[in-house]
Amino acid sequence: MNTVSQEGLLDWAGPILQGALTTLEIAVLAYAIGLMLGLVGASARLSPWAPLRGLATAYSTAVRAVPELLLIILLYYAGSQALTALTNAMGLPGQIAINGFVTAVGVLAFVQGAYMTEVLRGAILAIPKGQLEAADAFGFSTWARFHRIVIPAMLPNALPGMSNLWLILIKDTALISVIGFSELFFTIQQAAASTRAHFLFYAAAGVIYLLMTLTSTALFARLERYVRRGQPISEEA
Amino acid sequence: MTSSLHVTPSASDTLAVEARHLVKRYGDLEVLRDVSLEVPEGSVTSIIGASGSGKSTLLRCLNLLERPNLGELAIADEAIRFDRNPQGDVVGLDRRQLQRLRAKVSMVFQQFNLWPHFTVLGNVTEAPMRVKGLSRRRANALAEHYLERVGMADKRDSYPAYLSGGQQQRVAIARALAMEPRLLLFDEPTSALDPERVSEVLSVIRGLADEGRTMVLVTHEMAFARDVSDQVIFLDRGVVGVAGTPHDVFEDSDHERCRHFVAPAV
Repeated sequence: MNTVSQEGLLDWAGPILQGALTTLEIAVLAYAIGLMLGLVGASARLSPWAPLRGLATAYSTAVRAVPELLLIILLYYAGSQALTALTNAMGLPGQIAINGFVTAVGVLAFVQGAYMTEVLRGAILAIPKGQLEAADAFGFSTWARFHRIVIPAMLPNALPGMSNLWLILIKDTALISVIGFSELFFTIQQAAASTRAHFLFYAAAGVIYLLMTLTSTALFARLERYVRRGQPISEEA
Repeated sequence: MTSSLHVTPSASDTLAVEARHLVKRYGDLEVLRDVSLEVPEGSVTSIIGASGSGKSTLLRCLNLLERPNLGELAIADEAIRFDRNPQGDVVGLDRRQLQRLRAKVSMVFQQFNLWPHFTVLGNVTEAPMRVKGLSRRRANALAEHYLERVGMADKRDSYPAYLSGGQQQRVAIARALAMEPRLLLFDEPTSALDPERVSEVLSVIRGLADEGRTMVLVTHEMAFARDVSDQVIFLDRGVVGVAGTPHDVFEDSDHERCRHFVAPAV
């Protein structure tokens, strides 16, 4: 259908690559923050202190229960309205719009954190008790025990789930297009609408997402081999 | 010493462990009922008894992996500061003191409990570096020394999963020694091993006893306990049934269940 329109895939290559890059930036940042939230969330879920446990349970339950699309729209519109009301109340006139990139990273990280909390919690619970007991018996501080024993011991259990979450996250960045932020999917929509070469551009989008996920699957496989370095081959299969 | 226990005179009269009237309950089950124990510096104490007699629980109270409900405990001349409620029940511990004391008391576990993500060398250097703040160079030198001592130096770069049980336990002993502890605790160190692997671990432990290290062992190896111990404690349903020299416990006891228990070894 290229012949019908004035512009084709090549004219859009620049914006599309730019969009793909933005998508990756959003995903990497959201994943990193989500991982931190997940570590805190999982530790809180396993805390002996009931209020902390309750808070973390509420977070992971509520966030996982609500569609992400709804959360994105809620945070974007409700967030900017609330901020506008706040600044107006302080005597500053005008509208406040939340930056699309910040919204995208914020919402996706918040959602990732909830799922990550559950993945990491399960992985921590699967650590043989004796390994933690040995750390306790040698007088490890809470922090030394956490980052030297708990994290490396739970990673082999956690990585398959973490890799899943990363793949879902890459695809979820497409949801950000609803607030008009030009990541990959939004750019593709623009291109498809403008050239009317719908199939071509959506297929190109599919290929780009596929390339991203295939590359990261390979990276995760390498990472998993590394964190399982102390385990016999038979368990790798 | 104002001890009621018949302990052979040892190199020193300071006590590595002094436990008074320890009580440990799990719900309604009273596992330890009023157990007192003294371990002089430089002596070897074996705790024997039937399963369920509370011997592992007693050992685990000595580094507070189990927190006693009642009683007093001093490790290396330092009284443990328990938080108590008005009735005297132990409800908490001073975490800082606990970490400091645990650095002086090393434990060897029945299931070895090596960290699978570290190499043999990493397992041995980890606690000296993280807990005692040793440099990697010093920790490595210490680890090489003790791995040599237990005959595992050639496996320093292997991961624990690739070693036999006996080899893993010897690494675990090197890991405990590298902390240069005042007190070594052994919780049934040979019970998880294949029979043909038991002797390699026992001979390492025997060597440590000969060096005059302070040790408390929970063991089912009666002949071994009789051979290496200065003091043997027969624990019976949560109380000390008989305590004394190996001779007192193995040959000269009028405690019927103790005589019955040690009979196969005599």
